[in-house]
Amino acid sequence: MPDYVLQTTDVAIHYGGVKALDGVDMTLERGQIRGLIGPNGAGKSTVIDAITGRRRLTRGKVEIKGEDVSALGVVERRARGLSRSFQRTSIFGQMPVRKQVELAAFKMGAPDPGADADDVLRELDLDELADVTAADLGYGQQRRLDLALALVGQPTVLLLDEPMAGLSVQESLDLADHLKALTQRRHVSVLLVEHDMDVVFGISDVVTVFELGRVIAAGSPAEVRANPRVREAYLGSAA
Amino acid sequence: MTHLRLLLTTAAALALGIAAALLIGSSTVLSLLNQAVIYALFALGVGLLLKQNGMVSFGHALYFGSAGYVVAILLQAKAVPAEAAVLIAVLGLTALAFVIGLVMVRVPGVAFGMLTLAVGQMAYLTASRSRGVTGGADGMSIEWPSTLFGLSVNTLTKPSGMLILAWSVLVLGSAALTLLLRSRFGSITEAVRDNEERARFIGIRTVVPRAAVYALSAAITASSGVLAALNTGFVSPETLHWSLSGVALMMVVVGGTKVLWGPALGAAVYFLAKDVLGDHAQHWMAIFGIALIVVIVYAPEGLSGLIQRLLVPRKPKPSALVSGIYGGRVRRSH
Repeated sequence: MPDYVLQTTDVAIHYGGVKALDGVDMTLERGQIRGLIGPNGAGKSTVIDAITGRRRLTRGKVEIKGEDVSALGVVERRARGLSRSFQRTSIFGQMPVRKQVELAAFKMGAPDPGADADDVLRELDLDELADVTAADLGYGQQRRLDLALALVGQPTVLLLDEPMAGLSVQESLDLADHLKALTQRRHVSVLLVEHDMDVVFGISDVVTVFELGRVIAAGSPAEVRANPRVREAYLGSAA
Repeated sequence: MTHLRLLLTTAAALALGIAAALLIGSSTVLSLLNQAVIYALFALGVGLLLKQNGMVSFGHALYFGSAGYVVAILLQAKAVPAEAAVLIAVLGLTALAFVIGLVMVRVPGVAFGMLTLAVGQMAYLTASRSRGVTGGADGMSIEWPSTLFGLSVNTLTKPSGMLILAWSVLVLGSAALTLLLRSRFGSITEAVRDNEERARFIGIRTVVPRAAVYALSAAITASSGVLAALNTGFVSPETLHWSLSGVALMMVVVGGTKVLWGPALGAAVYFLAKDVLGDHAQHWMAIFGIALIVVIVYAPEGLSGLIQRLLVPRKPKPSALVSGIYGGRVRRSH
């Protein structure tokens, strides 16, 4: 059994002459939170799309717990424990909150989907809104529902694409604290794409920096902060 | 609605239909009701597709007319008993629709509507020109035997008998659909309709549920086609024409799809308007068209949606009850 739950090897996605990703090698260990940072267009969201099967690879491979899943579709990868949230909130607008989370738990093969859904809703403070139609929720509540859909059913790897987008500073910090505790409690490894540097450096065990579709640095938050190339390319002098 | 409430509502609706059939003496009124109920079933099929798949079909007359033709051709050839012909028509068309659906439901939006239109018109032209098999543009009579499923065809084709039969199929079909849509299948199809990409990311294969809903809607429409064939004893290419699909779609728009009985309400309104306005105006459809525009503008969820809105006041949005975009309700880490 490998000690990593996710590994990408030489992953590339090219659109004609445009190299959205070009030779990305990355691993995610059990229980680890890996932050992905970089300027807009660096390839952070594309790498999540590549891992989840939303985008076809030009070359390279993606492995989940040692199994090559590069040729598998989105549904098969989800069945192997890969789950994600979206940069733009992606929920089922016309369905009540609990019904959709319970459905997600059922599709993940949870032994008791109702109980699992109730647990996740309680963890994310959505339990009182269980019967509310998702479209009637506030923006922040919809962000949490998006997270609940990704978190339910005991996934092995959670890929979070800007979960703090649109939230205030305090709300982001609240959610970051919550997220860290939540992932530890549910034994899930996380790839976190986020522009909020306080959040990324605050909760990540390791950080990977992207620029123009390539990894330019990786290491502990302190190492990455101190990396001159990263400071020049992305963090600037304020870091 | 609980199972008991559904059972009681279904029983009450069946009793109402039987009472109406026995108490209404005018065969003209009964014939009008028969048409309304048969088309209500047709509209229920089209409405189901819109409600569960979010898809608009301009070609569901394909299943309405084909059901009549399958029965007519099998009975003319004396190939199978009438009961088998009816089952072959409904189940065969359902299976065909599932196979067609596996391809068509992958096509999004307007393109899906155009595909249904194209396939439907292909069937219309085929029936119109295959004179040797279908009677061509003249259509063909259906040679029903004296009994069907142990019941006298004479009794079934009398206006009151037909009303009891068609109404029972509509009510029991709606009850069965209500149960089905409450099941896991209903949740899955709702999720796929709402957000297909998210549905895939929670592990749902989206094509098969969509094709299943398409097949189910075809089954309901084919059932209405068989009833129409029994009611008139005749089938013609007009039953396959896109304009008939358009009429069913109008009923769906007028009635709404938020609840299952919406399309049936639309069919009732359509036939009421046809009867009342038709007595006074040659071009009654023009007046109905204006009514349709009014409904679309002022009650986009249809008359059933309007009735629900009036009867059940909308709850205030929860976001209005809490402060801030995040609601200020996230617990700190434990």
